Amino acid sequence: MPLNIDIQQILLHLFNLVLLLSILYLLLYKPVHDFMDKRAEEYKERDKRTKDALSDAEKLKAEYEEKVSAAEAENARTRASISAAAESDREKIISDAHEKASKIIDEARDKAVAEHDRLIARAQTEIAEYVSKAAEKIVMDSGTLEDDFDSFFESVGKGDIAKKGQNNG
Amino acid sequence: MDKKKRTRFIVICSCILAVLLVGIFLTGDPAKEEEPINIVMKDAVLHETAKVSFPIVGSVNPAVVSAYTVTAIILVFSLTVRLFVIPKFTDTPGKFQLLLEQAVGIFDDLAKSNSPQRNKFLGVYVFTAGAYIFIGTLFELLGVMVPTTNGGSIALPAPLADINGAISMGVFSYLVILSGGVAGNRFKGVLHTLKDFSLPISMSFRLFGALLSGALVTELVYYYITTSFIIPVFVAVMFTMLHALIQAYVLTMLTALFYGEVCMKEGPIEDGKIP
Repeated sequence: MPLNIDIQQILLHLFNLVLLLSILYLLLYKPVHDFMDKRAEEYKERDKRTKDALSDAEKLKAEYEEKVSAAEAENARTRASISAAAESDREKIISDAHEKASKIIDEARDKAVAEHDRLIARAQTEIAEYVSKAAEKIVMDSGTLEDDFDSFFESVGKGDIAKKGQNNG
Repeated sequence: MDKKKRTRFIVICSCILAVLLVGIFLTGDPAKEEEPINIVMKDAVLHETAKVSFPIVGSVNPAVVSAYTVTAIILVFSLTVRLFVIPKFTDTPGKFQLLLEQAVGIFDDLAKSNSPQRNKFLGVYVFTAGAYIFIGTLFELLGVMVPTTNGGSIALPAPLADINGAISMGVFSYLVILSGGVAGNRFKGVLHTLKDFSLPISMSFRLFGALLSGALVTELVYYYITTSFIIPVFVAVMFTMLHALIQAYVLTMLTALFYGEVCMKEGPIEDGKIP
């Protein structure tokens, strides 16, 4: 044939190529390819596991945040109710204190008025007694009107009346 | 090393190199002198005279031996890797594991991106083809000498620098594309594949031409003794290493592209997904 083309040699080359294809497929291509596929699959699986774990963690985080916000709301409610109760107690205590104070003041005022009245009454009684005694003395001593007056004032000046008042008081 | 010792070392090396150069020029290969350049080039293309013996079938082109040698090298390498390296693979890859994973990953991605619906077999095929073209082309650099049937010796070329090797690669790629068409679209797929009937020819001769050009330039460079120094380094890099990469990429990319085209199912696009 032209160009030294030889069918037998072409077939020999083809046989060699098929042989090489089989050898390379079985000994090199397939094992390396399988290893790469297996590793890629493993990485894909790891990636999936990581994504799942991340999604779980995010879910947990959302739950936690929800719980935290609920607890904060509950806390705020409790604080508000406690504060309201405390305010009401405070007002009650203050009003009680006011009431007690006014009661004490009233009692003190009543006592003071009674004491005042008692002292006035006593003073009046004493004055009346002194006046009566003085009159009696004047009558008893029966002097002139001028002497009487003099002796009265003299006795007052000497403090007899005051002493008597103090002793009586 | 002080200055005196360095000078002595350079002088000795220069003397040895000069003696060797004189020896090289004085002792030319008498066989090469008898063989004109046009014969050498023709033989590099057609392999009509330099045949090597092969078990069972007799004499064949040297590229057949290269092809089976490359397969044997790959087999030993794969077996070693399968037995001693792959069982020790870890989730955090080392340098060699990374290299293997990259090699498999690149061709797997190429198959997946070009044929999203059906790519398992395509991935294996482009991996094999890529490895074969790359390693086979670099194999040429080793310059493994084998005896020819006419009593001489020849350096084993790249398996795809032979027309039969290139045709087999092109035909095999076309058959893979056809199988994708049948698997994906049944009879329609066959028609789609047959529509590109020139594909095996273009694939074969693209490979053959690219690799042969490297082989011919290398032959030419080594034919003349004056160009046999330093220049082969650049020639090897340009025509072997770059071709190894470029041709591996081109053939695998084309195969993946056509495979994806013929096995794609036709129909309305629903919800952004191709049926």
